[in-house]
Amino acid sequence: MAQNGHGADRNEAQKHWNLLAAKSQRNRRIKDASLFAFLIAASIPIIIPYFWLLTLAFSAGRAGVDTKVLWPSIFILVPAVVLTWIWATIADTRRQAMVGWGAIWSVTIIIYAIFIGPSLHLFNFRFLFNPDFNAAYREIVAAKDNPGFSVTAFPSVWTAFWNSLFIAGASTVVVVFAASLAGYYISRFQYRYRESSLAAMLVLHAFPTTVLLIPIFLVIWKIGLLDTLFGVMLVIVGIELPFAVFIMKGFFDAVPWEIEMSALTDGATRRQAFYKVVLPQVTNGMIAVAVFVFIRGWEEFIFVLTLLTSNVRWTMSLYTFFVTEETNLGVDYGVVSAVGVFYIIPSFVLYTIAQKYLLQMSVGGIKG
Amino acid sequence: MATIEFKRISKKFGDETVIPDMNLKISDGEFVALLGPSGCGKSTTLFMLAGIYLPSGGELLFDDARVNEVEARDRNVGIVFQSYALYPHMTVSKNIAFPLRFQKTPESEIGRRVKEAAELVQVSELLDRRPEQLSGGQQQRVALARALVKNPALLLLDEPLSNLDATLRLAMRTEIKSLQERLRVTTVLVTHDQVEATTMADRIVCMCDGKIEQIGTPEDLYRRPASKFVAGFVGSPPINLFEGTVANGIVEFGDARLEITGDAGSSVAVGLRPEHLYFADSGIPATIVQHEPMGREILYVCETPLGLVRILETAAAASQSIGTSTHFRFETENTLAFDASSEKLIPRVRIRVPEK
Repeated sequence: MAQNGHGADRNEAQKHWNLLAAKSQRNRRIKDASLFAFLIAASIPIIIPYFWLLTLAFSAGRAGVDTKVLWPSIFILVPAVVLTWIWATIADTRRQAMVGWGAIWSVTIIIYAIFIGPSLHLFNFRFLFNPDFNAAYREIVAAKDNPGFSVTAFPSVWTAFWNSLFIAGASTVVVVFAASLAGYYISRFQYRYRESSLAAMLVLHAFPTTVLLIPIFLVIWKIGLLDTLFGVMLVIVGIELPFAVFIMKGFFDAVPWEIEMSALTDGATRRQAFYKVVLPQVTNGMIAVAVFVFIRGWEEFIFVLTLLTSNVRWTMSLYTFFVTEETNLGVDYGVVSAVGVFYIIPSFVLYTIAQKYLLQMSVGGIKG
Repeated sequence: MATIEFKRISKKFGDETVIPDMNLKISDGEFVALLGPSGCGKSTTLFMLAGIYLPSGGELLFDDARVNEVEARDRNVGIVFQSYALYPHMTVSKNIAFPLRFQKTPESEIGRRVKEAAELVQVSELLDRRPEQLSGGQQQRVALARALVKNPALLLLDEPLSNLDATLRLAMRTEIKSLQERLRVTTVLVTHDQVEATTMADRIVCMCDGKIEQIGTPEDLYRRPASKFVAGFVGSPPINLFEGTVANGIVEFGDARLEITGDAGSSVAVGLRPEHLYFADSGIPATIVQHEPMGREILYVCETPLGLVRILETAAAASQSIGTSTHFRFETENTLAFDASSEKLIPRVRIRVPEK
């Protein structure tokens, strides 16, 4: 009797536990699903324009805004994305998930190739080889008789590309070099007004730089660097340096003193200890700073627009801007999108390569 | 190998004096421990020895030559930190070779000496690994090898065992000690752990607030602590200290009275080590309020007229349960008395349990 009663109790208890377990599992699934739903909803406003850009770059013809490829693509790709997501919550093992995704996407690619494939072309990328890609328009515009308007003479896109590369690359090198040295000094040495100088540096970064447009223009003009890439580079360095120094300081703070003291007693000079022992610990920080400064230089628009006048010194941002302007008359969204895609590629490649290091930035510790 | 001497060394950081006036002589091949609580200036002393801090005053002598201004890299000092401070981006063998690179040692000799140093601390099979792939004990050994590879005149150990677990700490303690005995390198160990200091060092320098409280062998510090501070710091479990007033050969502690012999001042602090106290049928009454088994021994905490008293008894002796009322005694020669105001030891003054 007693034994039986005990057994019944245990069954009851087990049922109770099972219920609780089921409830917790349900809650977990709901939480995961809502998180995914939120992420998707939040990224749609960003993803859709990029998708538009990409689709149009490879499909648009000369005839105005063209959606005959855009909508079908969305109808094919959105279900695929949703299926991928659903499968991710259903699949139990990683292997299962991989197989499922493989199946979903092979089918999608086949459907895409059949229905959309024939409409894709590279004609919009003709600007890469022919600087005068808008020759056809020039005639149309001329024919339309727009008084006071002349079609811009475009340089080769490669000129703009190398100009942008120079500005972004050179400012990256200068900022990383200066920020590493300054960050180390601020992290390691006590000096008067250390705290306040740090605070001042952050405030500098907080101000909108656009308010400096005219003063900077005047300064650059006075020192004779107007319409030079070097002048623009200096301005970008000046704007980006404070925050870069601050980030580097955070990384140096995370390097323990003992390592440096070890190096000193091991026979290194202060400088050797810095180069051989401390600097290798902050390479991630240097890479992160480099990526941010490079991208900042690559996308710089307002200062290049102000400080560069002749079109052989156009950067990619100016090139894109003028292509867009130009097209307001003739509307060739295909070329605009293609230039956009071409402009994005380097940033995209850089981010993909450096992603690992950028993610560590918060780990490296940005602290005062 | 070197002799070290501190001559009236002082160290200030801004307005704050960390070490007011330090005098200390360390002979060649000696193993000295700087023992004290955190903030007592022992690490500052070590960094002055390493050449990382410049003394604010006085003279630091290595082999009777002044080295105050000699830079760390020229002092031929090896240092091991609590955090090991290995270079994370280098393999073990590169870590160990690092000091030799600055001495323009030929490549073939570097290889040989790295191998020797690695063998010395038994890390030969780890030479190609990186520090993050090593356990704490292995990192510790590599740090030792790196400090020893250049045959330093002076080996500095900054809390080298604090990050290790208890078993490993015991093993490394023995190992460092025997390594030091074999190499006869002058060694200075900084620690806050009195067991580490007493087990490893030939002599202990006990520090408090930047001042040296006592210099002596581990035995000296335990038997004849120069001050109340040293008595409280050395010995585990810690000594029992009671303050009382003296009149006519009697010390009074509120309710309790003990006899005192010798010439003490008007008030004293009496020190009784837990291991010198034992339960008896007569003596000072005590009620047991807590007992902590420690293996071979049991630590009892008792309520007595003197206040709470720690008594260490072997577990073999009749076990006393909580709440038992009993008595405890001690032998007169095992007692210590300190002047209550100067906190210094009053030699030859002893305490006795009064016979009634």
